[in-house]
Amino acid sequence: MILDAHVYVGQCLFGYGRSLDEIRADMDRLGIDKAVLVPVKPRDYHLAPMNDLVAEAVQRHPDRFLGLCRADPWQGETAAAEVRRGFEGLGACGLYLDPWEENFQANDDVVVPVVQEAGRYGKPVVINAGHVRVSHPTQIRDLASRFPAVQFVACNGGQINISGMLQYEARRMLETCPNVVIQTAGTYREDFLEEITTEVGEERVLFASRSPVYDQAFEMARVRLAHLSASQKEKLWGLNALRVFEAQ
Amino acid sequence: MIIDSHTHVDRVGWYDPPETIVRLMDEAGIDQSIIMTYRDAPDSEGALEYIAQAVQKYPDRLIGYARMNPRRGEAAHRLFVKAMEVYGFKGLKLHPVGNLCHPARQETIDMISLAVRYKAPVLFHCGDEELTLPLQVAQAAEACPEATVILGHCGGYFHTRDAIRVAERHPNIILETSAMPYPQVIKEAVERVGASRVLYASDGPGCDPTIEVLKVKLAGLTAEEQEAVFYRNIKHILDGVRAGGGMS
Repeated sequence: MILDAHVYVGQCLFGYGRSLDEIRADMDRLGIDKAVLVPVKPRDYHLAPMNDLVAEAVQRHPDRFLGLCRADPWQGETAAAEVRRGFEGLGACGLYLDPWEENFQANDDVVVPVVQEAGRYGKPVVINAGHVRVSHPTQIRDLASRFPAVQFVACNGGQINISGMLQYEARRMLETCPNVVIQTAGTYREDFLEEITTEVGEERVLFASRSPVYDQAFEMARVRLAHLSASQKEKLWGLNALRVFEAQ
Repeated sequence: MIIDSHTHVDRVGWYDPPETIVRLMDEAGIDQSIIMTYRDAPDSEGALEYIAQAVQKYPDRLIGYARMNPRRGEAAHRLFVKAMEVYGFKGLKLHPVGNLCHPARQETIDMISLAVRYKAPVLFHCGDEELTLPLQVAQAAEACPEATVILGHCGGYFHTRDAIRVAERHPNIILETSAMPYPQVIKEAVERVGASRVLYASDGPGCDPTIEVLKVKLAGLTAEEQEAVFYRNIKHILDGVRAGGGMS
């Protein structure tokens, strides 16, 4: 079973985007059974209608999709209310925070209310991680340490640096925070994914494409061609994500 | 045929002996790879000798580049000459993050000018970090119009547009595909600067050469363009290098 733990739906302010029909066609073509849909930030900046779009897709195709609720922490109580709406009314399986696109630091106090809401509902928090000034692995680690009961999912292997200089911090984040897992998408050096799986824990890595920011077919190769055992790959392909998103 | 234009062999930092890259080359169907250390000479004693020994062990598979610290002036120049004339190396690698030497500082220009004497290509690490941005490396290409300047990683995660932009402005800039996660950037690079100025590379062994080959294949190039990217272009560059015959 292949579960892509991160697929954006909708047309984004920043130029990327795919419709639900395009996503389903690509999943069929690539042999992806299920995907976690993530709302994009639309041109009008309003996230609530995008959360509705995701919820409708999940309702129409519950066998193919799970969905995240996205909130902008800068919206204060409005954001917290949107998170509650996402979990109570829309059936979201987790909260999505994007410090890069919403322009906040991942461990800033402004984030606390929405993370508390996720914790109250026992839902995971997926964070666009690895961006040096807003979601550096030390900042994800700081946040996750303050909320040890909340499950965090760090995108991009927790590190975006093409010299490999953040790998040490990303590993430290995982070693010191058992409540953090990473996604595979865009990760610099495939051997980092192999190292984390074999040395830190084979439950700590989720296959995700972050498509269409990254290429879905190419991102699959990171797991398919990894130098890991079949049982380890089975966990990366979907078992780990099911545990994170469906066992809440 | 495939020639990988950027891989690493070293025993300091990441431990990647030549056997590792050769094994991955075999898996990927790669005929030859250009190898370099993770550390600069002459700062790190024995760095160039380690590459020379690897090439000597696998003379049909591995080709050496000398990674140098331009700030070391005459000492660096002497070693580079030895690398080219005695060890039979074919190019110069510069990673300004490691030595904090701006691509257009006089020390760097002097180092590049020495490479020009051998018609040897200059491979820059070119990503998202200070001192390695495409618009910074382009200053070196502009100052040394006779140099063949290769932008390794094609601008990384966030600066691929700048990499293509500077390649359009400077005919002596070549784009290289390793590690950056976007097949569509390869397509765009070929369309805008021509297939003759794009090189396949993996940044292996950390980045899996098989996956990096797949990235080029997913770019939607014609068979002729793929041939150029996979080996014709770098072969043409290497054939023009005036170097010694290597150790015997």
